[in-house]
Amino acid sequence: MQPYLISLLIFTPLLAALAALLMPAETKTSFRILTLAVNIFQLLVLVIMLRSWDAAAGLQFVEQKDWITLNMGSWGTLQAQYLVGVDGLGLPLVALSVVVMLIATMASWTVYKNVKGYFTLLLILNAAVIGSFTALDFLLFYLFFEFMLLPMFFLIAIWGGPRREYASIKFFLYTLLGSILILIAMIGLYTSVHNPNTTGHLVHTFSLLHMSDANNFISNSIFDPNNVRMIGPWNAREWAFLFLFIGFAIKLPMVPLHTWLPDAHVEAPTPISVILAAVLLKIGGYGLARIAFPIFPEAALHFSSFVAVMGVISIAYGALNAMAAKDLKKLIAYSSVSHMGFVLLGLASVTPEGVTGAVYQMFSHGVISAMLFVIAGVLYDRTHDRTINNYSGLSGRMPAYTVMVLIAFFASLGLPGFSGFIAEIMIFLGAFKAPSANGLLHEAFAIIATSGLVLGAAYYLWTMQRMFFGPFNLKGGIPAESIYDLDKREYGMLIPLGVLALLFGIYPQPLVDIIDPFARNFTEAVLNTGRNLGATLNP
Amino acid sequence: MADTALLYNPTTLQTFALLTLLLPLLSFGIGALISERYAWAVTLCAPFLVLLSLISAIVVAATQWGLGTLPVAIPWFTVYGYTFSAGFMLNATSVCMLVIVSLVSFLVHVYSTGYMAGDAAGKRYFTMLGFFTFAMQGIVLADNLLSIFVFWELVGFASCTLIGHWKDKPQAIVAAKKAFLLNRVGDAGFMVGLMLVWSNTGTFGLQDMALALADQPVGGWQTAAALCIFCGVAGKSAQFPLFTWLPDAMEGPTPVSALIHAATMVAAGIFLLARMSFIFTPAALDVVAITGILTAVVAALAALSQHDIKKILAYSTISQLGLMVAAAGTGAFGVALLHLVTHAFFKACLFLSAGSVIHAVHQGQHQAHKSFDVQDMRNLGGLRKRLPFTYITFILSGSALAGIPFFSGFLSKEAIFSALIGWADNGWRWLVVVAAFGVSFLTVLYTYRMIRGIFAGDETVTADLAIAEPPVIMRAPVALLAGASVWFVFALNPFVCHGWFLQYPELPPHHTALTIFSTLWVLLALGAAGYIFRSRNPFESALLRNTFYLDSYYEKYIVRPVLAVSGVTNRFDYKWLDGMIHATAYGQVTVAHFVAWFDRVIIDGMVNGAAGLARSTGRFTRSFQGGKIQLYIFWAVLTIIIFLIWTLV
Amino acid sequence: MLPVHHLLYLGALLFTTGLMITIIKRNAIMVLLGLELMLNAANLNLIAFNQQTPGSPDGQMFALFVIVVAVSEVAVGLAIVLRVYRYFQTAVPDEIRELKD
Repeated sequence: MQPYLISLLIFTPLLAALAALLMPAETKTSFRILTLAVNIFQLLVLVIMLRSWDAAAGLQFVEQKDWITLNMGSWGTLQAQYLVGVDGLGLPLVALSVVVMLIATMASWTVYKNVKGYFTLLLILNAAVIGSFTALDFLLFYLFFEFMLLPMFFLIAIWGGPRREYASIKFFLYTLLGSILILIAMIGLYTSVHNPNTTGHLVHTFSLLHMSDANNFISNSIFDPNNVRMIGPWNAREWAFLFLFIGFAIKLPMVPLHTWLPDAHVEAPTPISVILAAVLLKIGGYGLARIAFPIFPEAALHFSSFVAVMGVISIAYGALNAMAAKDLKKLIAYSSVSHMGFVLLGLASVTPEGVTGAVYQMFSHGVISAMLFVIAGVLYDRTHDRTINNYSGLSGRMPAYTVMVLIAFFASLGLPGFSGFIAEIMIFLGAFKAPSANGLLHEAFAIIATSGLVLGAAYYLWTMQRMFFGPFNLKGGIPAESIYDLDKREYGMLIPLGVLALLFGIYPQPLVDIIDPFARNFTEAVLNTGRNLGATLNP
Repeated sequence: MADTALLYNPTTLQTFALLTLLLPLLSFGIGALISERYAWAVTLCAPFLVLLSLISAIVVAATQWGLGTLPVAIPWFTVYGYTFSAGFMLNATSVCMLVIVSLVSFLVHVYSTGYMAGDAAGKRYFTMLGFFTFAMQGIVLADNLLSIFVFWELVGFASCTLIGHWKDKPQAIVAAKKAFLLNRVGDAGFMVGLMLVWSNTGTFGLQDMALALADQPVGGWQTAAALCIFCGVAGKSAQFPLFTWLPDAMEGPTPVSALIHAATMVAAGIFLLARMSFIFTPAALDVVAITGILTAVVAALAALSQHDIKKILAYSTISQLGLMVAAAGTGAFGVALLHLVTHAFFKACLFLSAGSVIHAVHQGQHQAHKSFDVQDMRNLGGLRKRLPFTYITFILSGSALAGIPFFSGFLSKEAIFSALIGWADNGWRWLVVVAAFGVSFLTVLYTYRMIRGIFAGDETVTADLAIAEPPVIMRAPVALLAGASVWFVFALNPFVCHGWFLQYPELPPHHTALTIFSTLWVLLALGAAGYIFRSRNPFESALLRNTFYLDSYYEKYIVRPVLAVSGVTNRFDYKWLDGMIHATAYGQVTVAHFVAWFDRVIIDGMVNGAAGLARSTGRFTRSFQGGKIQLYIFWAVLTIIIFLIWTLV
Repeated sequence: MLPVHHLLYLGALLFTTGLMITIIKRNAIMVLLGLELMLNAANLNLIAFNQQTPGSPDGQMFALFVIVVAVSEVAVGLAIVLRVYRYFQTAVPDEIRELKD
């Protein structure tokens, strides 16, 4: 049973989706229960994985099966495998996905239109997401990566708000553009990397593990570190890194490639916003940490200041835009942009604290933004109006909701005691230490990033002041009867998320234990390999 | 102290320290999780738990007495081989502060049971009060800078929720937001200080840091780190320019003001200065001193023209904090701590007494169904006959504030002056000394004005109200605190500050001349006050009352530009970034249209052209079969002739 | 004796005229007339060349033949023209285009 846990996680939702397609469309409840059952099953599998997790063992639960092997004679053999596994980077994100999918299913309970299609798409999305976080073969990863786009497109386009067609097409095409750039890099890598385990015959492989080892590059291939060609201002490897970086940065999202996010979030229905913010954005960070940085470390070091600056810009720009937002969901969307800027800063610092902080931030932001979007959904479900200025004094009628909002907002702005603080402080420490520890970046980046702390407090507190406190008043034609406190389902969604955020703020050791080995390996690999390759390229 | 040495058992110490810290947290937990029906239980439970916490604090203090620094190691989490600690560092300073925090918190809890009786949200109040106590004790006990930062922010959070307790009052919420935000600005600086410390010493533990720094030469980074940490101090302890939240924080209930904004939270900054004293280079200390004295002067001036009694006390707090910071700036951290302790008692007493006045007049107001601002001094006056007990406590603690001999405030102010004089060895430093004396003069003035305004003269608006002293449960804490404002709590000799409390090696030398001078100075100030405030207040000035319009400057030059910038980025995002995307989308559609045109006209055109060519060729050849007989004949004949000519020629 | 080329020129002239009439004239009967002319021109040629070879009467015999054929052909032709005229109500060949493609 043990080795097949990841396949269980991926294929259970797919099979359930198939089953859902075969079920008649009239029975709405059965789809909900099916999806919930799948989610609970995934949760159980996750618990088993966590219990047998060995922090020091690196990649675990690895499954390797031959998938596509095409012998092309003198051009070698094309080999793509079904290669999945988790390590310190993947496990927190897989755990996050499982939990968030469960929350999303609970939030989807009130979907009434075309329930069959909705839950089928949700299950496919579930499988694709977990597949993306566990795939170690680039083609497999790309497959799952693309697989996420289509369900999301339909989910937003059919069940979304007034401007859903615009938002869904924008989301789809924009992220597809990123995928194309990743594809280009992938093809280049495919032609440049060979499988060292097969002697004699040349086997081109898509395996990320082989790609991360600089010795596996075929000589005189396009990405051969010993023989790169210059294309314009950068060499081919740096171009590949840039393509990968931009492709994943669109998903992150990084300013200025972020404009799809506010529209997608505002128009998407609540459960989809939750999944988008909590899980899909993390694929960007995951891709950078798994693919872009380890495969082209010298390019990563070369561009680290650029990446850090873009991170800092995202932090400040996202926060400023959040302050000017009039729609609650747009505010939360921009705050997501701001928080993911921290991830970029942490990764760019290539220090253990910074990288640990970046992965921690991905997990923490996943939990907290899920909570935030559920909160936005609670209000929207009641009044179908998200305009902040239309509300005042909600705390009188919705006291429990106000407490939840307080928890979510303060967790998001990085109050100590919540997981966001742990993540941010590690990123700050790493980013500030980087100039003296490994010669990257500049202290000013971390100093400017602290403005994110102040701005975050500013827009969240201002929103709380406007919406929840003061005298009770509703504008914009919202009927007062629509304001009632949380029901059991909403409690069931918000309380676990709040508990998670609090738990990993007070007792971070378990999560840090999982991430730490990965962060160390990552830092060493990128710094050492990067410096060696950099030396060969620029003697 | 051999007896106490025997008492030292590490596990006992750890247990009691943990109890002191966690009992208020338990009070918070009970208040948070219990339903509204049992709110009365929380009102009973909270003071009791804090009392237990006080007792544990006393045990801890007794155990530590005379034993130097005792560590309690509690690991938090480990990253890359470094273990962040959540442990405690117990030395004389911390156990002293621990006892004081617990004591004042307990007294405020007891007082609040009377003051907040009948408040609909009493449960929430005591819950957050317990959380605040927990966080404050966390700061006091912490042995590393990260823990201090964590509890620092939590204290800010608790303060924010307590200021905004009456959440339906818009001004209260605005004040709460302002408090948290200004604290956050300070905390951002604090965070930079943390980063500097981390990257230069690789550790956050206070003792490890002190050791590491003792070896290192004094470098530029230390001044930068010290100043950044001072940023956090300026935010929390309301120094210039981050003090504007404190007067607004008076929107909260008065006991909250007493606990948080007089005795404990604002004192946390001074405490941090003392804890991190080893990192402060002379240059940093100069900045600290200047900031402190500037704050003291500005706040004292502002206090002179306030009408609201709580605002007078708030500005007075800011001013006294400025003096403490100035003292710290001279390097005499122990002196700053002494003033912190004396100030904690007499200021808490002043606030609680003011709370008694407000409470009493409010009750009278309720019964008579009148409404006027009870906190405005212009409505009060002549209350000495109605509230004699409160009058006495006001006088006692007010005298301590003013620095009148035989009171605790005199001792600590003495210490500050001697420290300042000892430090003043060149030009500008004497200015600081002069300013300090000026501040003490002004302190007497505004204290006199306040007491006179509330109690002297005749009653005006309150004349026909039924005003009585508050119940015993409110008077007892006030009495205790008033008692602590008298000199013998701190030193046997009312004129010399070297008592059982001040045990630091950096004892400022005692000059009799200074004592005599300061006594005379205070008496002069008293006389001047009596003379100046006979009739109207000559310091009535909108400029002073609005603190030189500092708030408006902030609003105009910081808040509005930031909002404007955020509007600009929003428009940029919408018009330009999104615009570029839309432009590419339109461009792509245009290109698609062009390609369609090309496809339709040129490529398809070629295909159609080929077909047309075939058609015209066919038409041409078909024309030969016109059905006209004579044409047939003609063509036949022509062809034959051509053929003949061709073959025969 | 007449020089032969005189007769040949006359014959050519007649033939050309007959061809012109056949092609240009708008009446079917005129076409027949033209045909007659061409045939007679051919007769002339025959006689002309027969004059060159006085021994054999081939030319004159052939000319007689041609006249008889011409007469019968005209008879049949006229009959056809009459039938056509009765059917199409017109004797103009250009207007009879049933065979047009």
